[in-house]
Amino acid sequence: MTVKTLLLAGGTLLVSASAASASGFQVNLGGQKNIGMGGVGVALTLDQAAMFYNPGALAMVRDNGVQVGVNAALARNAFIPESGGGQSTLDNKLVTPFNFYAGFGPKEGKWKIGIGAYTPFGSELHYNKNWEGRYSLTDINLRSIFAQVTASYAITPQLSIGAGLVMLAYGDVDLQKDVPLTAQTGAPTPHVTLNGKAKQSFGYNAGIYFKPSDKVSVGVSYRSQVDAKIENGDVRLRDVIYSTGGNFTATNFSATLPLPATASVGVAIMPNDKLTISADANLVFWSAYRTLDFTFSGNNGYGDRAATATTPAVVGTPGLLGGSTTSSAKRYYQDALAFRLGGQYKVTEGLTVRAGGFYDMAAVKDGYISPETPDADRIGLTAGASYEFGKRFGIDASFLFEDFLKRSQSQSDLLNNGTTDRVAGTYKTTIAVPGVGLYVKF
Amino acid sequence: MTFSAKHSLPALALLGLTLGSCQPQLDDNRPAADAGQLNFSSYVAVGNSLTAGYSDGGLYNEVQAVSYPAILAQQFAKTGKGPASFVQPAFSAAKKDGSGYIKLQLVNGVAAPIQPSAANNFLGEQVAYTSNNPLLPNELEAYTGAQPDNLGVPGISVLSADKTASSTGNAVVDATTRGAAAQYGSINNFYQRLLPAADRTTKDYVTYIGQKTPTFFSCWMGSNDVLTYAVAGAVASPTNPFSGLTDTTSFGKGYRNIINAISKNGTVKGVCATIPNVTAIPYFNTVTVTAVAAAFKAANAASPGVFITTGTAAAPVVRLATSADLLTLTAQGVVATGAGSLPNNPIPNQYVLDAAEITTVLNRTNQLNAIIAKTARQNKLALADMFTFFNSVAAQGIVTNAVNNTATFASGNIFSLDGVHPTPRGYAVVANEFIRNINAYYGSNVPTVAPNDYRGVLFP
Repeated sequence: MTVKTLLLAGGTLLVSASAASASGFQVNLGGQKNIGMGGVGVALTLDQAAMFYNPGALAMVRDNGVQVGVNAALARNAFIPESGGGQSTLDNKLVTPFNFYAGFGPKEGKWKIGIGAYTPFGSELHYNKNWEGRYSLTDINLRSIFAQVTASYAITPQLSIGAGLVMLAYGDVDLQKDVPLTAQTGAPTPHVTLNGKAKQSFGYNAGIYFKPSDKVSVGVSYRSQVDAKIENGDVRLRDVIYSTGGNFTATNFSATLPLPATASVGVAIMPNDKLTISADANLVFWSAYRTLDFTFSGNNGYGDRAATATTPAVVGTPGLLGGSTTSSAKRYYQDALAFRLGGQYKVTEGLTVRAGGFYDMAAVKDGYISPETPDADRIGLTAGASYEFGKRFGIDASFLFEDFLKRSQSQSDLLNNGTTDRVAGTYKTTIAVPGVGLYVKF
Repeated sequence: MTFSAKHSLPALALLGLTLGSCQPQLDDNRPAADAGQLNFSSYVAVGNSLTAGYSDGGLYNEVQAVSYPAILAQQFAKTGKGPASFVQPAFSAAKKDGSGYIKLQLVNGVAAPIQPSAANNFLGEQVAYTSNNPLLPNELEAYTGAQPDNLGVPGISVLSADKTASSTGNAVVDATTRGAAAQYGSINNFYQRLLPAADRTTKDYVTYIGQKTPTFFSCWMGSNDVLTYAVAGAVASPTNPFSGLTDTTSFGKGYRNIINAISKNGTVKGVCATIPNVTAIPYFNTVTVTAVAAAFKAANAASPGVFITTGTAAAPVVRLATSADLLTLTAQGVVATGAGSLPNNPIPNQYVLDAAEITTVLNRTNQLNAIIAKTARQNKLALADMFTFFNSVAAQGIVTNAVNNTATFASGNIFSLDGVHPTPRGYAVVANEFIRNINAYYGSNVPTVAPNDYRGVLFP
């Protein structure tokens, strides 16, 4: 299967994750079984999703198989500004991160190869019309689909390694905000939309899996940073006021968004055939995200003026948005740790149940919270179940509930940090993510 | 919260939908609105054009409705101890544009501020000029509604507000000035419209405000004791006794009389405000010597710079301007006709505030502000230091929910098209500064407003 067909498969689904279900705008929804267990997976060989959590473990996954999972993320957000009005919320929208994996190898063989597609980063938020932060952001939709090819090799029956080529196969971003200018005519507030597709780019992941006994396994894995680079994205302008047109001439923009590296370690214990308990720690290298810089170009003619009897024709200065050809917003993210714990229990031959939880630390520092990522430390609780029919087909169900700790920033924090391009107030977010997966083993 | 694993998919889906529709509710932990020791049931605002809600070179209903006293009254009401109503002397609906106001209009495709006048049919505005009083040609429709709570009178100074204030030591001058203050209702069209015809030649402003019995007041007086002189390029009009810099003795006397009248001799709580630094406003910082010199240079490479007139009317001095000299916003018009390009055609004195005049105006502003601060202190009144506040706005702007408002003419959103008075956004910011000082002094917790809900300059 080629990347193209993978994309077709992805294209049939709405791909993005809501408000990011891990720190920053990372989405930790790699595999349905793992989701039910608090997102652990580095020391596990549950299914083909191993190639996402730890490519080193893929060789130890017993069966060949194909699996697909879909999640329905429902984010709910509340915001109270420091001064002014009351609580505002999001215009709620369902988004559906997915995952797909296929792994093959000789039965009882030493190696295995796999392909996968998943959505490790994304965010979609639509704030209420006229909310206090509308001049900072009204809407964001950040989407990414990664494709991966993986090979894994068992050096010994206890030790296996693996690596994969990871590709940002598809990425796009849509950022919208209002412009703080008022028209004499009473026309709606001017509105800017930045919409662009990311260039395809590559990274890798690698991992080691070690299972010294039937009762214990450990794993480490690493996923490299991939930059989402947007060139010639579209600047779309609505209701630009004629006399201010000279400051809004841009038609295109470019920007680069780092999708950071992640390092993980995990341990699992299997006290008996039925029970597995696992713990993971992830470190996401968010500190790579320093500033979000835009460069604008093109000329839409809004600044052009025809000649009059007394004045010559004027051609507007190209590449301006809000009077500037560039913009830079401080992000200054910090590396973020997450701790995860989960377990599964095989109730009957067909039925397995799962539960787990995690604590995920914010990538966004105090006083740097921006509406596009109302990040905070968060607690997640998960549950899941699988039912297998005749040892070949199975259905996975998972449920994840994430509770972001309430987070505030004051106008003086923003002034001190030079981050007054965002709003002071208190954010609170919860996300519920039911998910379902299907798999076939052979 | 715990979840038991659900074995069947429909139950799980149901759980998801139930929890998914669980909208988090934030407790509003912002301190509850609280008047503390204050009683806002009758709030009265005393002041000049800034208090009246004057904007864009005129008083008109739209901005008057969002004058800072109106915003304060609205916020005071949120404490539960606020005024049930706050009356402003609005113009009738058919004449809602009052004295008319400057608009940006497209001239050759570029926005330019246009002053309304009879010649341009007042830009189509519904003005309230009666044009039937030969003694006061700019007479406005009389206000006939309920006794207003916003007593702001555009143009009024401390000197013109009190018929006993003038104390220069020159008996002739004092008699003239005191007489003019007594008859101020027949001189100032904004004051005239508030008074019954019989009071117009006798009732000075101190007497007028003394008729009110507030439970809380604000007083922002004094700007015109320096501003009138400054905006005229430090050229006093020989026919107008209120066009100079008010001396400190007269100001002190008048200011204390104003505070005594409105505070019932210090028994009513309130807030005073200082005079902003008039040289920091866009009126003096939009047409700059540097820009005019560059324009002259572009037209004529040999241009030595900008010629200005300084000194006194009796002994004018023509010299090249430096960047220490400020030009008024209104200088734009004469510069466009070529004034300033040649020594025999300098920019006239009334468009120039030279370095020495700036120092004079600033020193006097500081002296008068010291009197305001002292009077507030002696009467145990809160003080909003608008001099410091506007200096800060001029230096670094003020950010309101991700919007960077600045003191830049028009595009800065804070100052209206006259370059002196705030926009509704500016008045909201001013109201917040009053609230901050009231809360700090009295321990109350009046909530601030979101300035972005108030417009800046309207662009064509």
